[in-house]
Amino acid sequence: MTGDAGDGKGTAAEAKDHPDMTEPQLDMTEPQVTDARPGAPGPLLSIEGLHVDIASRDRTVHALDGVSLDLAPGEALGIVGESGCGKTMTALSVLGLLPPGGRVTGGRILFDGEDLATASAPTLQNVRGNTVGMVFQDPLTSLNPTMPIGAQVAEPLLLHRADLGRKEAWARAHDMLRLVGMPQPAERMKAYPHQLSGGMRQRVAIAMALVCEPKLLIADEPTTALDVTTQHQILELIDSLRATLGMAMILVTHDLGVIANRVDRVAVMYAGRVAEQAPVRALFARPRHRYTEALFAALPERAAERGTELHTILGLPPSLTTRPTGCRFAPRCAFATDACREREPDLAADAELGAGADAGLGAEAGAAHRFACFHPVPYGDAPAEEVVTPPPAAATEPGGVLLRLDALTKEFPLPGGPFGRRRGTVSAVGGVSLTVRRGETYGMVGESGCGKTTLGRIVAGLEEPTAGTVRFDGRDLAGLTRAERRAHRRRIQLMFQDSTAAMDPRMRVGEILREPLVIQGVGSRADRERRTAELLDAVGLPRGAVHRYPHEFSGGQRQRLGLARALTLSPDLVVADEPVSALDVSVQAQILNLMRELQREHGLTYLFISHDLAVIRHLADTVGVMYLGKLVESGPAERVYASPLHPYTRGLLDTVNVPDPAAASAADRAPLSGETPSASRPPSGCRFRTRCPLAQEVCATTEPPVTTPSGEGHQVACHFPLTASRLTSVV
Amino acid sequence: MTGFLVKRFLQALVVLFLVSIIVFVLLHMLPGGPARAILGPKGTPQQITDFNHQQGYDRSLPTQYFMYLKRLFTGDLGDSYKLNSPVFELLKQRLPKTLLLTVLSTVLAVVIAIPLGLLQAVRRGKASDYALTGLAFLLYATPVFFLGLVMIILFAQVLPVLPAEAPQGESVGELLSEFSGLVLPVVTMAFGIVAMFSRYMRSAVLDNLTEDYVRTAMAKGQSNRRIMVRHVLRNALIPLATLLGLYLPTLFSGALVVESMFNYPGMGLLFWNAAQGSDFPVLLGVTLVVGIATVIGSLLTDVLYAVLDPRIRSVA
Repeated sequence: MTGDAGDGKGTAAEAKDHPDMTEPQLDMTEPQVTDARPGAPGPLLSIEGLHVDIASRDRTVHALDGVSLDLAPGEALGIVGESGCGKTMTALSVLGLLPPGGRVTGGRILFDGEDLATASAPTLQNVRGNTVGMVFQDPLTSLNPTMPIGAQVAEPLLLHRADLGRKEAWARAHDMLRLVGMPQPAERMKAYPHQLSGGMRQRVAIAMALVCEPKLLIADEPTTALDVTTQHQILELIDSLRATLGMAMILVTHDLGVIANRVDRVAVMYAGRVAEQAPVRALFARPRHRYTEALFAALPERAAERGTELHTILGLPPSLTTRPTGCRFAPRCAFATDACREREPDLAADAELGAGADAGLGAEAGAAHRFACFHPVPYGDAPAEEVVTPPPAAATEPGGVLLRLDALTKEFPLPGGPFGRRRGTVSAVGGVSLTVRRGETYGMVGESGCGKTTLGRIVAGLEEPTAGTVRFDGRDLAGLTRAERRAHRRRIQLMFQDSTAAMDPRMRVGEILREPLVIQGVGSRADRERRTAELLDAVGLPRGAVHRYPHEFSGGQRQRLGLARALTLSPDLVVADEPVSALDVSVQAQILNLMRELQREHGLTYLFISHDLAVIRHLADTVGVMYLGKLVESGPAERVYASPLHPYTRGLLDTVNVPDPAAASAADRAPLSGETPSASRPPSGCRFRTRCPLAQEVCATTEPPVTTPSGEGHQVACHFPLTASRLTSVV
Repeated sequence: MTGFLVKRFLQALVVLFLVSIIVFVLLHMLPGGPARAILGPKGTPQQITDFNHQQGYDRSLPTQYFMYLKRLFTGDLGDSYKLNSPVFELLKQRLPKTLLLTVLSTVLAVVIAIPLGLLQAVRRGKASDYALTGLAFLLYATPVFFLGLVMIILFAQVLPVLPAEAPQGESVGELLSEFSGLVLPVVTMAFGIVAMFSRYMRSAVLDNLTEDYVRTAMAKGQSNRRIMVRHVLRNALIPLATLLGLYLPTLFSGALVVESMFNYPGMGLLFWNAAQGSDFPVLLGVTLVVGIATVIGSLLTDVLYAVLDPRIRSVA
């Protein structure tokens, strides 16, 4: 209850607002986890009944409402949950780094015997960067752009190790950079953050957090801004450093795949509270809280088969401006009863004894599994993926060719030199040929900078190709007259990742949806209004939405609007560029289901661009894999995923974090190493050769031709494709 | 970094070339041509023809332009009609004095504005922030001549501690030796700049305080003061550098008013008197110098930019 005194008005209001804070049960709801691990040392960090409020101009959000967690020395705890659940606030409050307006209103944060929630500024400053290191999400913005990285890494040493001289601190920073895998650390010490790749920047951030050898590392979504292969490298790095330095870790993430094999225990948060806490294997094997169960079921990875509906969680998490009564998940829970709506369940150890027999995890794990649910998933119940509804009738069989790209090339000039002279070109798309058939979903997958977005923009007519042709419905787009091109635009529409940025913030939804019709001169005013209403019905938004502005909607709702806008002109092809990447798992499932449903109803064709292999696998009929502007592999989704032919595809599949602690530890996985070269100087021959485990001389001299070694339809551009016979000899 | 500066320098040369063309065109736009301007309404047509021939004004425009450029490079900007002295000599005498005034007031303004802006950003929303914001707007909205008058009345008449007139020395050294006389002109000119710069500084610091790198700096365990000095300050100065360069021409025009108010013997006063006496060669000479100063100002901005922001350096 820090900081309440002295604000008479606030205290009175808050006392009414916080009835549970006066009840003694609060701190007793959670037996120490150490009870469950006899012989384990006392906790390093113990968060007890933490309450955090974030006050803004017109409202106060109760971001954390009685969060209790603890962590033994050397232990790794994962905190997962969807956006707004309080996982980041929990992490930030440990170091007193809450955003402006945020403050701890109750509870304790005991670290090494000291309560950090009430600690003075000097005490906190002594802990920060010294005994607790922190790594943030975005490595570009988290580093000071005007300071060399060496100075940034040495800074914590200069602050906390007064006995070290400047020279010694510099030397240690150098060693630390080498430890995090920075090549040529001595030279890189003088580099600025913008001169490094995203992965290298995150290595710098980790070096900064660990240079004082802290007892605890807090990593807040450390890999969310990174590509799949870099993500893997960073997580491996954190793992190995943790083993070397013997430190404890809190890993905060929304990605269940990331925590599956990186932590000992997981806390699932929902609406400012811990919903479930368990050893990682127990949680993934048998989630008990209904929210955790639903979260797992919504994962595209867990959908039984391609083409099935994903489980979704209806509705949205509650707004935390007022304290909900009863279980916070009850409004969205299929199992909720009156009891759930009246009383809030406490986080308690499993009452069903014999839990230890569960999945052979041992009695300790059984007792350490705690959840706050009145109607938990029973032990005897089948795992979530087996209660999938029967798949709906398959989408209409793909018809004739709708889109054909032939040797499509796009180069962007690289400006620089005096008077803006061209210094070179960036080869964004380097000769891509593919066909998309009517009614199918073509999934284009690749890491950032591989050219997939440029490809989508060319197809949508927003970018002129440097060379090559785009044929749509049999016609070469380059041959269209101005008027024809205008009319053609109706037939291909775009759906963007960030619908907020893609919609004029000063236009109402009605105008946004009508605008394409107005531009193309379609129908009368009444027709247009009817069409708008139809579209809103189709994407599951109320018709009244026409009078509102885009910012009044949630991320998922805005993506529905983005889809409605794309469909306004009844296009044949929708180019969807990372449409679900900014969404939470449960909302992502809703949008994917909606896209599939609309495809079935309207016979739509999708060119679906994504970095997410699981999403593509779930949705796509045909998959294309791009690397540095080249289409390295394409074919029917099942075949590409089951038996990839290109070493890059294989590497990507091996690198991806599978949300299953058992699967990911398989030894035969060969994740990709290294970094993607610059597209302004792509490697000669095969562009993947610099990272390819199979590369030989011919790969550097000759560009691999497209072949179909495993039968028609499955194409690969590789000198040494991974056909069944090779696979055994190489791997 | 060098490549970047070379590039900017070459661009500056191009702009200077354009400036010379504009001034040349202006010369020809003088009412009735330069001959009429010099000989006055009473000049006979014969006198005008002779004058034009003598000055080369009857040749083709490109030839005239090259002659003009040639004279420019030899420092010949023509003679003043009124002061009976070459314009070049006048400028050589006056420019250092105006530079002195401008540099002193800019330095004073920056030295006051940076900490003031920092302070306001740190105290955002508190009484001191509001008070300083109010004061800044008041100063910003006050015309320089009015501010100068208030200063003269306050510090030269009500409290006669400072002279109301600037020193009249021949050289910069002489001006500096009578420092008390410089105080009022410098302070008057600085006040307007302080108001604007501190506003910019405040918002630049506020922008930077919400940046993730500040949170990282906090997570390292630094005190707020250290974060301000070691991390935020430099990043916040980057937008200020732009402002400084863009502000240079405005400073010159401010100098014009201040110099005429305090009878400060600089270029502004020269321009002021020349404008009243239709002394066109002097006006054009000053215009050229201000044009050059503007180009140099933006060049300086770029240099400052490159020094402050490593991202700019590696673009080139």
